[in-house]
Amino acid sequence: MRLKVRGTQNEGIPTASMADIAFLLIIFFMVTINFEVDKTTVGLPTTELRFEIPKKSAYISIIESGQIRVSSGEEISVAVPGPENVLSFAVDVVASNPGKAFVLKADKNVPYRYVDSVIDALKQARAEVIYLLSEQETLDGDGGGQ
Amino acid sequence: MKIKKQSVSEEIPTASMADIAFLLIIYFMVTTTFAATRGLDFSLPKDDQDTPPMVDKEESVLIEIQPGGVLMVDGKAMPLDAILEYLKPKLERNPAKPVIIRPNPEAEYGYMVAVFDEIRQAPDKIGMEVKNVSIPTQREIEMFWY
Repeated sequence: MRLKVRGTQNEGIPTASMADIAFLLIIFFMVTINFEVDKTTVGLPTTELRFEIPKKSAYISIIESGQIRVSSGEEISVAVPGPENVLSFAVDVVASNPGKAFVLKADKNVPYRYVDSVIDALKQARAEVIYLLSEQETLDGDGGGQ
Repeated sequence: MKIKKQSVSEEIPTASMADIAFLLIIYFMVTTTFAATRGLDFSLPKDDQDTPPMVDKEESVLIEIQPGGVLMVDGKAMPLDAILEYLKPKLERNPAKPVIIRPNPEAEYGYMVAVFDEIRQAPDKIGMEVKNVSIPTQREIEMFWY
């Protein structure tokens, strides 16, 4: 007697939902992506206390050689010739948004005189708060660099 | 003669949808950077006047930072982790005791951040807050100290 095979099994892997999963992942990346306005590579100092920096803060970065770059938080950072230019930049930022936070992204090995001139410019521009960007201090007393 | 009709599929072809989606995911994964977005906040004095608030040098605790990270607290060399113990009795007598951090212009910025971080941890380490911390700039020191 010939037996009738009941039903057929599909040999292919179902891929219909693959696109849905992929698009969900895309949405996740699009929502969480954080476009950096300043891509300067510096060795940040490490601290145990760290607080969240407000989004769209203005950035001032100082690399080890003392070169300064600034960004109002809306566009990519640009190099400025010297600390005196930081004052005019900070005055413009504070004039357009008086409560705007400034982020100081300085290399841990930079001589303090460069940082001093930047902090002085921010004080003169009537900035309200500065965030000293840092890495988390680990148990061995060191953090990663950026 | 019977003309054979070519049949057109009524469905939208979605086979390549997953490929496109995964390409987008790869793009986002490659371009995403995990930026450091935390740091130590440092509030600047809200000076409506042109002169900063006067701090009596004799009444305050002066922390000087030398190049190489040598710390001088009120003229005495002291390790970083001993500063808060030194401050504790002074803060018990006067909770508003001013603390002045004065880095040498050639000292590395990382040491200034380390000292500031240590002082900000006072509530956790000695159970008292250092309410009055100032980091005068070189211009302020020259203008108001001498």
